[in-house]
Amino acid sequence: MEPKENIGFACAYTPLPLIDAAGYAPFRILPVGDFPDQAGQLLHDNLCPHIKRILDRAMSGDLPDLAGAVFINSCDAMRRMADAWIDIHKIDTRKNGRTILIDLPATADSLSISFFRDELVRAADALADWRGKKIEPEAIAASIDKYNEISGLLVQIAQKFRQGRLDGGTAALQKIYNQAATSPFDDTLVRLKQLQDAPDSDAPKNKGVPVFLFGNVMPDPEAFEMIESCGAAIMNDDFCTGSRMFAPIADDDAGDVFSRMAEALLTRQPCARTFDPARPGKIAEDVLNNAKAAQALGVIGHTVKFCDPYLERLPFIREALKNAGMPLLLLEGDCSLRSIGQQKTRIEAFIEMLR
Amino acid sequence: MMKHYFNDLVAGIEASLAAAPDNKSPRKLYALEIAKLGSRLYSGENRVAWCGIAAPFDILSAMNVTSCFVEFIGAMLASTGLSTEFLEEAEHAGFASDICGYHRAILGATRKGLMPEPDFLIGTTCPCSGGIAVMENMAAHFNKDLFVLNIPQQQSAAGIRYLADQIRQMVTFVSDHTGQPLDEEKLRAAVIRTNQARKLIAETYELAKQTPSPTDGKMLANFGIVMALLLGSDAAVEVAQAYLDEFKNRVKNGISGSKEEKLRLMWIQNRIQFKNPLVDMLEKEFGAVVVIDELNDITWDEIDPDDPYTGIARRAISIPFNGQATHRIDHLKKLAKDYKIDGAINPCNWGCRQGTGSKGLITEGLKEMGVPVLNLEVDCIDHRSFADGQIKTRMEAFIEMLNDRPSPWG
Repeated sequence: MEPKENIGFACAYTPLPLIDAAGYAPFRILPVGDFPDQAGQLLHDNLCPHIKRILDRAMSGDLPDLAGAVFINSCDAMRRMADAWIDIHKIDTRKNGRTILIDLPATADSLSISFFRDELVRAADALADWRGKKIEPEAIAASIDKYNEISGLLVQIAQKFRQGRLDGGTAALQKIYNQAATSPFDDTLVRLKQLQDAPDSDAPKNKGVPVFLFGNVMPDPEAFEMIESCGAAIMNDDFCTGSRMFAPIADDDAGDVFSRMAEALLTRQPCARTFDPARPGKIAEDVLNNAKAAQALGVIGHTVKFCDPYLERLPFIREALKNAGMPLLLLEGDCSLRSIGQQKTRIEAFIEMLR
Repeated sequence: MMKHYFNDLVAGIEASLAAAPDNKSPRKLYALEIAKLGSRLYSGENRVAWCGIAAPFDILSAMNVTSCFVEFIGAMLASTGLSTEFLEEAEHAGFASDICGYHRAILGATRKGLMPEPDFLIGTTCPCSGGIAVMENMAAHFNKDLFVLNIPQQQSAAGIRYLADQIRQMVTFVSDHTGQPLDEEKLRAAVIRTNQARKLIAETYELAKQTPSPTDGKMLANFGIVMALLLGSDAAVEVAQAYLDEFKNRVKNGISGSKEEKLRLMWIQNRIQFKNPLVDMLEKEFGAVVVIDELNDITWDEIDPDDPYTGIARRAISIPFNGQATHRIDHLKKLAKDYKIDGAINPCNWGCRQGTGSKGLITEGLKEMGVPVLNLEVDCIDHRSFADGQIKTRMEAFIEMLNDRPSPWG
């Protein structure tokens, strides 16, 4: 079988089953690597390093061949990234016009789900056009099944890593997340099933201080390794490059595939940009509840610079955790290991304080 | 503090207008109506809604709700030299200094009790992610209900229908909170007034395109964005009529807005809101006049009074800050051509991912048509980091460069 062509994406709200159903491999363009800063010139330096690194990778020729890109209008930075992406690909006759920006409402009411459903149909039409082949609803349903299987397996495997039943700790788990986000569904399923069937490890268990991690993006496995090396045991995380990336889509035979995806994506564990107007500040409750569920003694938040959705909500979270007596350490980075490494002493002191 | 400020402002402008009844400066009438709005917001006697920038203020006006986008207060605090205290309050509360200055000022003012408690809030996802986060913060702070209008990015049939339906739901939300249903006749009248103001403003902008322009660098500063607050009211029509009359008179009598108009400039995004010498310096020292601000344009069609929600949805989607950067750049190119612009100034408001985020693409886009852009790096609200001398030097160099090149318009 011929290898599948890749479709680039950059946000956890991307409808991955659509890409798979179109016959493509979803390829998350992770903000990793070290490249000359070119995106800052094209846009502005005050945009988040997540999107600047993605663009820098593209402008430095660091990406595999992409047959197109599916971006999400999840925040100002993502919207600007799509603008720049279109600009830098405008002279590429094949890729010019092969970028779609899906509009994503900030709320999950029924009108918004219905509108988002139509946006997914628009995305499916674009993918079908690029591929030259109609995407049948049955194919999308089959891709949703595969996606759900990946989602379920990732939960089980994450549990095995965190319990020390698989070697490598959460750094190895992050590698698995990254592979899942950059590989064809079928390849991911094979790999995950092997891990699920792997015998339990005899290696010593992590006896570190249990902590919960949250934030926007932290894809570098070494960042997890570094945090654990400070004496932490990462019990769970809530990152869009981690556990948030493959949230299950409800099995509902009654609804059409687009409605199912729209509802699942909009109502999943949210990034700070999506919220319930009836419960302003709920993100703070979510972080606290997740930390408690993970039996964490403390919380480490990691956000990239200039991320407004998080920057404007961190005070909520700080206050709620303080009121609940849950210690919090906030880190700010630029998606590089270097920026997290610089804060190693703070992490060590925080873990020491939790002991 | 703000209540007294706005009341004093109203009294002062009214006294000034009464002292010279034959000399009704349109800018004074505009400032009076804005001061009256501020006075109503802080009176404690009106129903108040804090809103996002793209909220339908004419509908809210028809429903007897005094409404305002919160960034207006951020700008007022800066223009009166009071923003520092509130910026510092926000920063002490943990809001990073990388956040937009408008929003930091408001978040600080909310915490310090300077923002009147609203009856409810109407957030809009356009223009920015930061703005909607501020509304969520304020809803939590005041423990008041928040309604969110998701503004689609495109003028598609689906997008317009989605927003129109949301606006209908917003009307129900407002009725539920005021206990008064929408009076359809009042809405119809408000829409007719909106259309009247729209027509007058469009004619005013048309006259501003003349060479030399009847406007100067200040008459229409912040005009387009703030006039949205008055839409649906008699005040919007009166202010627009006053501007049109003044500009017609100036054009008829060959009076230009500035003494000497050697260069015509476009101001991108919003003005620097705290007191600064830049616009005066450009005009007086170099004869370089800001004849057009990016947001001083009518980008929407007349609204059908029999189907107001569709037209109002179209209007919200049409604003230049919405959608892809190409939409905004095309609009800037159109303005540059219509106003025969020699150069553009972009303050690059620090912390604005939405507007400033397109800096490079805008520069490239205008350069294609021979219009150079001076990109400053200013926080338009926070004067603490304002490097007066450095910016003046850059402006001088920019003007020198413009003087040394032929006009892109022949």
